[in-house]
Amino acid sequence: MNNPELKLHIKRLLVENLMLQTTAEEIADDISMFGPGGLGLDSVDALQLVVALDKNYGLKISDAEAAKVILRNVNTIAAAIEQKTQAAG
Amino acid sequence: MNPRVILVTGANGGIGQAIARSFLQESPENQIWLGIHARLDQAEKLAGESPDRCRTIALDVTRPDSWKAAVAEILARHQRLDVLVNNAGDHQDALLATMSLDSWQKILALNLEGVFHGCQAVLPTMIGQRHGRIINIASLSALLAPAGQANYAAAKAGVLALTRSLAKEVARIGITVNAVCPGYVDTATLAMDEMERKRAIERIPMRRFGQPGEVAAAVRFLACGEAGYITGSTLKIDGGIF
Repeated sequence: MNNPELKLHIKRLLVENLMLQTTAEEIADDISMFGPGGLGLDSVDALQLVVALDKNYGLKISDAEAAKVILRNVNTIAAAIEQKTQAAG
Repeated sequence: MNPRVILVTGANGGIGQAIARSFLQESPENQIWLGIHARLDQAEKLAGESPDRCRTIALDVTRPDSWKAAVAEILARHQRLDVLVNNAGDHQDALLATMSLDSWQKILALNLEGVFHGCQAVLPTMIGQRHGRIINIASLSALLAPAGQANYAAAKAGVLALTRSLAKEVARIGITVNAVCPGYVDTATLAMDEMERKRAIERIPMRRFGQPGEVAAAVRFLACGEAGYITGSTLKIDGGIF
């Protein structure tokens, strides 16, 4: 799946909601959300991100296991949104 | 002052009523929701006085599904929820040696788990808004742990710990979480005979019981914009006890 517009929107959402000290354009599609070498998000950021994804895309992440898979990077978030959109369509 | 949407649980009791009235007076545009369950006569009377901006809503604070329905109804009308006051509570005093398990569980469910469910129910909305105020009504019993109140004191002490922990979790999202600990407050639930009242007053440095409005004033302050840097705090309102 490759939807540059959706990915850029996700990156902007990350920057705005989590007040990241970077620009959306600087975030790579495959950079890890959590841990060293990545964006360095923590559990509170994850909580905000889950709420923001639900609010903006109707993407509901109901358990921690699903969150681990979906919130890995921008690619995985975009894939989950597209999967949900296709399922709804 | 921006108009706000405010939910007060336990809104039939003296303190809940005073809190709701205080928010009604704060701004003519505030929208107040009175969470009620077992008793409703006083709350319905108050709602009837300002039907355009004060409404009752069925809410059993011990049930997550009840919270979900109540919050959904509020959001359907206002699309936001700014303030939650977790005020619902009750006590069943007994010495621990003779306290029934049912009494222990019931008081913890109502006073502590009810706060947990309430916070969980409103947090997605407040996180989405990046703004919110949660004020938990604890009790001086949480700090003094009087004999005969092992269940109530443990529950309210739990509320204080929950308050501090949650405050840290959501501080950066613009949500504050604070607690107040009323001491002896002159309400109908303070069932005391004359001798008990006299003894209680002797223990209070101010030599009088508090008024519900004095608790409400503290709650309203913690909910206001100027209190934005206060979070995880416990405010005693007790006339100077200890």
